[in-house]
Amino acid sequence: MKDILRSLVETLSALSELKWVVVHNHWQTDFLRFYRSQTNYNITKENDSIGVSLYKGKKNYAFNIDNPNQEKIDTAIAKALAIIDSLPEDPDFVDIETDLRRANSKASPNNIKALSLETKTQILDTLAKAVAPYKFSIYGTFICNYSQRQLLNSNGLDKSSDTSPIYLEVKAVHDESQVTVLETFGGEDFNRFDLEDFSSRLVQKVLYATSEIVDVEPGAYEVVLAPRCIAEYVQYLCYGMSAQALDQHSSFFEGKIGEQVFPENITIVDDPSDPDIISSSYSYDGHLYQRLPLVEKGVFKNFFTDCYYSHKTGLPENGNSGNCIVLNNGDKSLEEMIGSIKKGLYISSLHYMNFINPKETSLTGLTRDGTFLIEDGKITKVVNNLRFTERIERILSHITMLEKRAYTIPFSGNYEFFGIEAIKAPHVVVQDFNITSSTFTI
Amino acid sequence: MEAKIKQIIEKLNIPSLQFADVRITKTDMEGIYFQNGFLRNYGSDTDSYAIGIRVLKNGCWGFAGSRNIAAANIEKLIQTAISNAVHGSKFTKEPVNFKPLSPTIAEYAFQPKINPFDMAQEEKLGFVAALADAIKPQGKIVHSMVSAQFMRQEKYYINTEGSYSHTLVYNTLPMMMVVASDGAQVQSRTWPGHMSAGRGGFELFYDQKFKENTERIIKEATDLLTAPMIEDDKADIIIGNGHLALQLHESVGHATEADRIFGMEISYAGKTFVKPQMLGNFQYGSDLVTIYSDSSDPRGMGYHPLDDEGVPGKRTDIIKDGILKDQQTSRHIAHMLGLEPSSNMKASFGDDIPLVRMTNLCLAPQKGSLDQLIADTEHGYLLDFTKTWSIDDNRNNFQFTTEIGYKIQDGKIVGIVKEPTYFGITQDFWNSCDRICGPEEWEYHGTFHCGKGEPGQAMLLSHGIAPARFRKINTKVSY
Repeated sequence: MKDILRSLVETLSALSELKWVVVHNHWQTDFLRFYRSQTNYNITKENDSIGVSLYKGKKNYAFNIDNPNQEKIDTAIAKALAIIDSLPEDPDFVDIETDLRRANSKASPNNIKALSLETKTQILDTLAKAVAPYKFSIYGTFICNYSQRQLLNSNGLDKSSDTSPIYLEVKAVHDESQVTVLETFGGEDFNRFDLEDFSSRLVQKVLYATSEIVDVEPGAYEVVLAPRCIAEYVQYLCYGMSAQALDQHSSFFEGKIGEQVFPENITIVDDPSDPDIISSSYSYDGHLYQRLPLVEKGVFKNFFTDCYYSHKTGLPENGNSGNCIVLNNGDKSLEEMIGSIKKGLYISSLHYMNFINPKETSLTGLTRDGTFLIEDGKITKVVNNLRFTERIERILSHITMLEKRAYTIPFSGNYEFFGIEAIKAPHVVVQDFNITSSTFTI
Repeated sequence: MEAKIKQIIEKLNIPSLQFADVRITKTDMEGIYFQNGFLRNYGSDTDSYAIGIRVLKNGCWGFAGSRNIAAANIEKLIQTAISNAVHGSKFTKEPVNFKPLSPTIAEYAFQPKINPFDMAQEEKLGFVAALADAIKPQGKIVHSMVSAQFMRQEKYYINTEGSYSHTLVYNTLPMMMVVASDGAQVQSRTWPGHMSAGRGGFELFYDQKFKENTERIIKEATDLLTAPMIEDDKADIIIGNGHLALQLHESVGHATEADRIFGMEISYAGKTFVKPQMLGNFQYGSDLVTIYSDSSDPRGMGYHPLDDEGVPGKRTDIIKDGILKDQQTSRHIAHMLGLEPSSNMKASFGDDIPLVRMTNLCLAPQKGSLDQLIADTEHGYLLDFTKTWSIDDNRNNFQFTTEIGYKIQDGKIVGIVKEPTYFGITQDFWNSCDRICGPEEWEYHGTFHCGKGEPGQAMLLSHGIAPARFRKINTKVSY
């Protein structure tokens, strides 16, 4: 592949009227999916691809080649050169990435090789046995991924990075009632996985899930949102923090830089330097990924701005995209938070959220994988999954307590090439959370 | 390629494997994206081969996929697939099993009226550029886009039972959208909605009347800025094809994928409220409602002569006269449920494992035109063009917002409403259906982006649909 890339760069460099970007991706994955405490299937996949974007003045054409060889590349370049002159211009295009700074080198081990299928099935067998006495079975996925990315462009940029995330998602499901609870592990260092601790947290949730199942009426509730939930709301909020959303007039934060948008107890930062976060060395375009304050003590600070939208909107480029989000923690223990609630809900996880109107941050979605009733400061019953219709802006403005410790929550990006993002967030208490209907199912 | 895939299956036709199959796809894709009147992205991905080898050994599936179809790599894939099955079988208590099928041999090649990969560049880009220019920002319109995705896929399938198919299809996803703003709020209109994909080539731009609807979406997006919202707590709603396809997709299509019954998709796509004991007796909808899966209809993107595990394409009634009759199944799951396999196993590319997927899932037409249905409605709303969609883990509680609603009073449209939102419970909703339009209104709508599985696969599929009316639906959501 090195010879193919070298030859490609030489060919493109000889075309002095062009600017170009070349991305080489090598990707492998091992997926073990399980259900009813047994294997569903084992998948191994791999791909090598080269993507090329050519710019002639303000004209642009791009192509991608899977499993590339010299003949395929020559054909694709010839086609691109034959087309590009005839294309209309994009007047907003100014330049490709110019940030040549490099990150400190970080080599990831190939966890596919490090974590055998045999080890995976042994871990799953242990977890299945741990929940079986309570009539629960395990369902989920155990993934190892390895990807290498090299990005080169005609401005002299040549940057490489590799990642090898591991993601274990275990749902314990009651064999009759279908009550479900979730536990996850995500990261690049499997030495941080503590099977005993993981198993004990899963069993603790299973114990909560064995209580009576009830329904609740629609209305405003005081709720404890698990870190996964508030993390997901913040992820959705980040949509409006992009310069692209600003440019498309669909950002809640339009005209609000420097304004108090949330209470002072809210601080959000995109921070690849946080040791608990799965870090990104570079942005998609190759810009060095660095810490970026987004909301400081409730004041909105910055939009995520890439090269294209920096030129288009006049905002300074930072290359951030919200891959390393951290929500500040507070000063309460989880016990204090739950204990403070006379009647409310504990929400473990969210499902199928979608914006109604992104500019006002209104959305709808559902609870999933464990919703519980809190009565007199204690979790007492399982509640059917519920629908909420809310504005994220309102949820953040109604946070009255933040837990004193934060958790790293892995999220799997599951379209096309699998990846993992992590968000760090604490439990929070939210007042007047708007439940709009019950699903009548668990 | 036929010789190559036959050589591979010979290597897998060994006693130690219960079953094996191989898929090879060659895919060409092209995408055009205009933003605010200007060409923002134009690109292609051509001659992309992908291969997948699936084996069943010791009652467990093993799979290996790659974009590299060189002989040396194929040997490696075979060994990896077998090894994956062997290791997986150590954590198995209910071995996979299913009935054998007689071999089927099939060839199919679709030819579009206008091949997007061969047509003149000027005609293709010129037409899309003219659309982009017609809807570029002006007045209250602050953002616009026109996009086209073209896909050509040639597929070879073979299995150890002797079945073999070779197919070639073309699919196109055309779309345009405008966003209007008054500074405080934004409203959007698309054409022809989010389910605009179909089997065919560039002719879909003409068939779907893009040019004829540019002014309409500009006017409607602008008018929505000052339109009222629905104030009724409950209302009769007629749902147009631009949205009903998604209602069908989410609340019937995914709910009746039988892998969900057994929790095979819990970790990603979710479960279903449907239980095996409901088959044959569950009143899923009113007696007007017949919904079927039809992979034998070549008009839809879900057509195939054989699915991705060798089951011939067929029509299966999922709901007949309102009663739940069948499921969308794989051979394994059909065996578990005591059903015949429904020919719903599909993989997006050769290197993807097949999953239970919708093919052409259709609502059977009844009678009458949309105009007649509106004329027969005393008070209600015609809702169309999906804006927001959400449904729970069990596919029981849904909430949708459409881009626009047309208020109906005394059989006539008297105005529009913005962000019309309705919600309900799947069974109650389909039981409230009291009218479905006839064949003259029935058409296919489709998507390129139905996500399922891990690693994720985006499936192309179609829904045959005709506008329908639903009585006393919840239309008041306060937030």
